[in-house]
Amino acid sequence: MTRTEAPTLTYAFAVCRGGDVTAPADPLAEPPGLGGLPGLGTGAPVRTVAAGPLTAVVQDVPAAGFDEEALRSRLSDGAELERCARAHHAVITAASALAPAVPLPLATVYLDDGRVREALGEREASLLAALDRIAGRVEWGVKVYAPTGPRPAPEASPGDGPVSGRAYLNRVRTRQYGREQRHTLALRAAERVDTVVRGLAVAARRLRPHGVEVTGRHRTHVLNAAYLLDLGRERELRAALVSLRRDETDVQIELSGPWAPYSFADGGITDTAAAP
Amino acid sequence: MTERDLVHPPSVATERHPSDLAEILERVLDKGIVIAGDIKIDLLDIELLTIRLRLFISSVDTARRAGIDWWETDPALSSRAARDTLAQENAELRERLHALESRIGAEEPSTDGTEGLTSVGAAEEERRP
Repeated sequence: MTRTEAPTLTYAFAVCRGGDVTAPADPLAEPPGLGGLPGLGTGAPVRTVAAGPLTAVVQDVPAAGFDEEALRSRLSDGAELERCARAHHAVITAASALAPAVPLPLATVYLDDGRVREALGEREASLLAALDRIAGRVEWGVKVYAPTGPRPAPEASPGDGPVSGRAYLNRVRTRQYGREQRHTLALRAAERVDTVVRGLAVAARRLRPHGVEVTGRHRTHVLNAAYLLDLGRERELRAALVSLRRDETDVQIELSGPWAPYSFADGGITDTAAAP
Repeated sequence: MTERDLVHPPSVATERHPSDLAEILERVLDKGIVIAGDIKIDLLDIELLTIRLRLFISSVDTARRAGIDWWETDPALSSRAARDTLAQENAELRERLHALESRIGAEEPSTDGTEGLTSVGAAEEERRP
């Protein structure tokens, strides 16, 4: 730790196959797609670290702002968490546009480039396998929502004055029954959507449904799924969704993507036990 | 987060770009291949966990009732489950404490024993050695 320069750490975003993002013949030795990115906004360029057959996409970050304590408070602050998440995502997206890239989780930080090389070396086989699995493929997100309102038929007649207790209970029961029935229908619709999209995908994964803070009160999230599709199948996917939306009138279907294959990078090879 | 409130129910054919914060968060926090960094930050930690819970878990009871439970193994959820158990236990204890306090109140001579309280007090009496 010299006093002359503020000490830095190496923040890693993604791992590519060596040469993919920085091919020697590539005139873009410092790929503009990466070098031009602000990354986490530390002022340092987004660059690459070669490690055998692999290349990590990294950025220097000030140690003072990214050590354990600083990171924790940083990521505990909603606005800062959002900024970091979007910055992290932007670099991964840019790297994925250049070459197959295995995304690393937010806040993967090393003491220096040497430690990045070591980490990549230790996971070389699994990282290469992951790169093979995602090459030429992208992730799509499909979400299905069940509308929670408005009620189908507000059979109440407000002008009638006081209602009998039994009438009131009946109305509540009917409303409750209607809600449950709508929800069941929505779940079945979600399963049908999943079946169709799964048919186009090489892999599928279900994510947790979002809570009401995300969806709003007017709808319930009944399916949150990610699918890994070959690059050429986007048109088929869109066509399938058009017809699904036409058929499944009980639900709202949303498509998002293409995403870097976040949800499929670790399929079966997550290597947490081997942490040094 | 306010932009989400602007999404109205009738937008059936909506398609969003991958810019939705919740979608980004669920990917950059949970997904990606895990290789251990030098700086140990547990992404399931403390406040961050709360944010995750707010984003993802609030519909959990609804979802579970509906049979959507494939994320049950999630560690964040497990700790949530643990906390729920604690909260429930807490509530039960508080209830018992309240009941006990009522009984003590009932036994005090100054209190005119209402029927409910007296009977509770009597039950208490019986249990005494």
